[in-house]
Amino acid sequence: MLDHILSILVFFPALAALLGFVVHKDSMRSYGVAVAAIEFALALWLWFAFDNNVSGMQFMETIALIPTFGINYIVGVDGISLFIIILASFFTMIGIASLTDTKDVKNMIITLLFLQMTMVGVFVALDAMVFYVFWELSLVPMLYIIGAWGGPLRIYASVKFFLYTFAGSLVMLVGMLFMAYFYYQATGQWSFAILDWYRLILPESFQLWLFVAFFIGFAIKVPMFPFHTWLPYAHGQAPTIGSVILAAILLKMGTYAFIRFSLPLFPDASVFFMFPIAILAIIMIIYTAMVAYAQKDIKQVVAYSSVSHMGVIIIGTFALNVEGISGSIFLMIAHGVVSGALFLLVGVIYDRRHTKLMSEFGGLASVMPRFATIFGIMMMASVGMPLTINFVGEFLSLLGFYQQSHILTLLAGIAIIVGAIYMLAAYKKMFFGEVTKEENKNLPDVNKRELIALVPLVIITIWLGIYPKPVLGPINTSVEAVVQLMHEKAITEEAKSRIPSLDIIINKASAKEVQ
Amino acid sequence: MELFLYTALFAPLVGSLFAAMFGARPKTKIAGIVPSIMLGVSLISSTILLVLVLTTGHTVHVEMMTWMATGDLYIPFGFVVDQVSVTMMMVVTLVSTVVHVYAIGYMDHDAGFNRFFAWLSAFVFSMMILVMSDNFAGLFIGWEGVGLCSWGLIGFWYKKESATWAANEAFIMNRIADLGMLIGIFLVYWNTGTLQYDGAFAAMPGLDTATLTWIGIFLFVGAMGKSAQFPLHTWLADAMEGPTPVSALIHAATMVTAGVYLVVRSNELYALIPNVGLFIASLGAFVAIFAATMALVNRDIKRVIAYSTLSQLGYMFAAAGLGAYWVALFHLMAHAFFKALLFLGGGNVMHAMNDELDPFKMGGLGKTMKGTMILMTLASVALAGIFPLAGFFSKDLILEVAFIDHHFIIYTVLLLTAGLTAFYSFRIIALIFHGEDRHTALGFHPHEAYKFMLWAMAPLAVLAVIAGALKGSYFEMVTYVLPATEYHVHSATTYWIMTIGTQLFVIGAIYFAYKKYMSKDIKVPDGTSKMENSFAYKLLINQYYIPYFYEEYLVKPYRELSTLCWTHIDQKVVDASVDGIAKAFYATGENTRAMQSGNLSTMLKWMVAGTVALLSLAVVFGLAAKYSGEIKLFLSGLGV
Repeated sequence: MLDHILSILVFFPALAALLGFVVHKDSMRSYGVAVAAIEFALALWLWFAFDNNVSGMQFMETIALIPTFGINYIVGVDGISLFIIILASFFTMIGIASLTDTKDVKNMIITLLFLQMTMVGVFVALDAMVFYVFWELSLVPMLYIIGAWGGPLRIYASVKFFLYTFAGSLVMLVGMLFMAYFYYQATGQWSFAILDWYRLILPESFQLWLFVAFFIGFAIKVPMFPFHTWLPYAHGQAPTIGSVILAAILLKMGTYAFIRFSLPLFPDASVFFMFPIAILAIIMIIYTAMVAYAQKDIKQVVAYSSVSHMGVIIIGTFALNVEGISGSIFLMIAHGVVSGALFLLVGVIYDRRHTKLMSEFGGLASVMPRFATIFGIMMMASVGMPLTINFVGEFLSLLGFYQQSHILTLLAGIAIIVGAIYMLAAYKKMFFGEVTKEENKNLPDVNKRELIALVPLVIITIWLGIYPKPVLGPINTSVEAVVQLMHEKAITEEAKSRIPSLDIIINKASAKEVQ
Repeated sequence: MELFLYTALFAPLVGSLFAAMFGARPKTKIAGIVPSIMLGVSLISSTILLVLVLTTGHTVHVEMMTWMATGDLYIPFGFVVDQVSVTMMMVVTLVSTVVHVYAIGYMDHDAGFNRFFAWLSAFVFSMMILVMSDNFAGLFIGWEGVGLCSWGLIGFWYKKESATWAANEAFIMNRIADLGMLIGIFLVYWNTGTLQYDGAFAAMPGLDTATLTWIGIFLFVGAMGKSAQFPLHTWLADAMEGPTPVSALIHAATMVTAGVYLVVRSNELYALIPNVGLFIASLGAFVAIFAATMALVNRDIKRVIAYSTLSQLGYMFAAAGLGAYWVALFHLMAHAFFKALLFLGGGNVMHAMNDELDPFKMGGLGKTMKGTMILMTLASVALAGIFPLAGFFSKDLILEVAFIDHHFIIYTVLLLTAGLTAFYSFRIIALIFHGEDRHTALGFHPHEAYKFMLWAMAPLAVLAVIAGALKGSYFEMVTYVLPATEYHVHSATTYWIMTIGTQLFVIGAIYFAYKKYMSKDIKVPDGTSKMENSFAYKLLINQYYIPYFYEEYLVKPYRELSTLCWTHIDQKVVDASVDGIAKAFYATGENTRAMQSGNLSTMLKWMVAGTVALLSLAVVFGLAAKYSGEIKLFLSGLGV
């Protein structure tokens, strides 16, 4: 069973979802929780069976699909993708468990299970076509979640989300086709296998164009400034569960893809574009943090804060050294946990008051002390307090980039100031002061069902903040291999010097050059 | 010995978690007593460690576990008890224990009693991490941890707008400085390859001066935030919104001295860059006098003491900047005792006066509050530096350091400040306890604090008196790790002139304060007197208009710019262009829809047009392909 565990992880939720159509709607919730719990247990088993000392892919499976064009079903997992998969299954589980009075709960759970298939699929795919298929398929359930359960502007928001990211992905698809064509030119064989592509050394000019093609697809997904405007609408209109999954997992596809595709395939282009991208990321950090500060709606604050934090992830990724990339992957996990928890918390208050405007609240600390405490912990994690999960990622990302540029890191570091400004201001508006509104005087504190979702997140936030090693160790092993590969593939002097050599031996198959 | 180290470190955490369990429940005494006992345990363990270090000279160094490890970076949770950290541990645990016991009485009637002790003990834990860590990253954990607890405690009465505002101000201002600190840490890592103190400091002599200077500057920026040095000082006075025990512990004795501790801890770095040291000393001297002038006129006893703290921090930085690290640390210790005492006394007065803070509305309280009066007077005498109390040994030593190192400007400024210190300290003593009774007319019926609160303050009073006597053994101890420069004025005559002169000057200032503020003519100022309308008074009472400047020129523009970014840039430029592109597609479809209306004749027309277009394209491309050579030639002739 362990040989096929990745395929099981991908397709088990989908099969269970199909079966879900015949399950009675009253027992649907327990069914959904059971399926998601099994999936989560499988993901944990994967972690348990995972060999921390191997830097390459594990549990690989290959099934030929269209061999003539080199399109095969190839899946595998390494330290970079492992924890995002676990996170995806974890969030689906607590998401389903914490679903509150949603209409058509049966459809919602079926949709979530399909969404889970696409999410896991993206992170295990090692064939560009398979990756692309899952990448695009993931849009459909989310389109449906926003469009069917969203707020008043849901149609606009869901169509915008779909078309915007879809348009970007098409450019990425063209890039992938070119990449396969170059591989064909170099070797006489077609291949869409990412590991095959890793062995290809492209001239710098090709790299630049391909990098841009991939970049557009990824940057919209992340979303990077100035491609981010679909996100506030999507978050603003999506139901709580939609926002949680979107922020915790779907956004990570973009940053994950940077590390899976852009860095190892185009090391010279990565160095070439390092500073422009870093500047975009810095704009993203500071500008969206300022926009977050101006918001009146607490959910939009969290939404914009997501964009701001994704900027730090990008900075870490383009540090192009082990510290930075490991930090950025860790921050993906951390941001998933923290922003997911914050969206859940916003959902808690929305269920009670059916408004998200901060001016409607005030003084909640005395009415809902447990809610205020959990929100406070998550806020502090979001602000990057040491001994919480976010700090480790932020610290390493910025530390890594400091090797590349002093002044840009100083600017990116403003994240810790502006982040504190909007978060503390929002917290003050919601929780401090006197209770002014009559409706708020008797709000019930968080209930058991909500605690089931929130308490594990609090525990993870603090546990991985104090002891990040179980996660950071495997990430580090795989990242070292990526950095070494990049160093060896780099052609230009600049890239050779920017990407450190680690003097570790990776399984080097003969590199092939495109003329 | 590791056992004592871990006990000293984690006992406050246990106390904090215990109190936190009762966080949302109604007040229980036990939530205050258990943390106090745990702090006592921590104090005893620290004392045992002190005795060990003092007698054997051994230091304890443990590595608990790995925190972060990736690439070449390796950061453990490592703790070290050496001569410097054990001094800090003693100061922290001693003052905390006193403040905890005192707070059981002070917070007696507060609904948030349990929550208060959870935060307060958490603070002590963070502070212990800060001083005991053996690397910069661990220091940063404590650094941020104390910032967090300070936020929670300043904003403890969260229903008050001013309190939560002050809490956020303190947090954000500290964050600005923390960025500097973080950059300093990055610089240390990339230049020395490690964040452990011993490894990093050992590698520093091999680095070039420019790098070292940057490291020194950025780390000091971090110190400026925590220790509220100009221009990041405004949060400290506003932090007085917190309960008074908090002010005594955090904003006088411990947290604000973290910056001084950092500079002392990094003495090997700052010894290599004397120019940065001189800058630190100059800034320290400036802050000393700058804060002292603001304390002269303020009409809020807690704020006066806060400015006094700021001023004394300036002294400490002046000493540390001039390379007299042990002197700075000694003043830090002595100051912690008498300043905490002063604050706790202020707390008694506040309680007696139903939280009234204006000393002009008090007067003659000495009759009802004899104990508090004695303790506060003692603390003020120590603060003023009168022989033989603590301040005389620690503060006058800083003056001597400046004098001996020939920094006469710094010396003069500090000397002048000493006079101001004595004046403003006794100004409030005189206004509160002596003179005419002005409070009864205003409807106040003061009462003395609980006996056990006064007894809890007693150890601080004893230390404020005798700390000077400890100087010798203290010097022996810390100079194991700190440069053992002794400061002696060369000629005995000069020494006696300086010492006696300073004493006379200070005593004169005290006499002047008593004379001026004990007089029967003192009334509650109503804004009409000549002094209150003078320019100097207005400048000082408005804190040199710096908070106003920050509000008008930083806070407001930031808020406006944020709104502008959202409403104009994000919605009207970025998003509008995305929608614009989408609309262009949509409009194209909408406008060309008529082409496929189903009307045969229109469709035929379009078909013909399309065929013509395609054919002509084919012809053009065909020709171009045929004559490609000529075209290239032609184009190259044009210089394309």
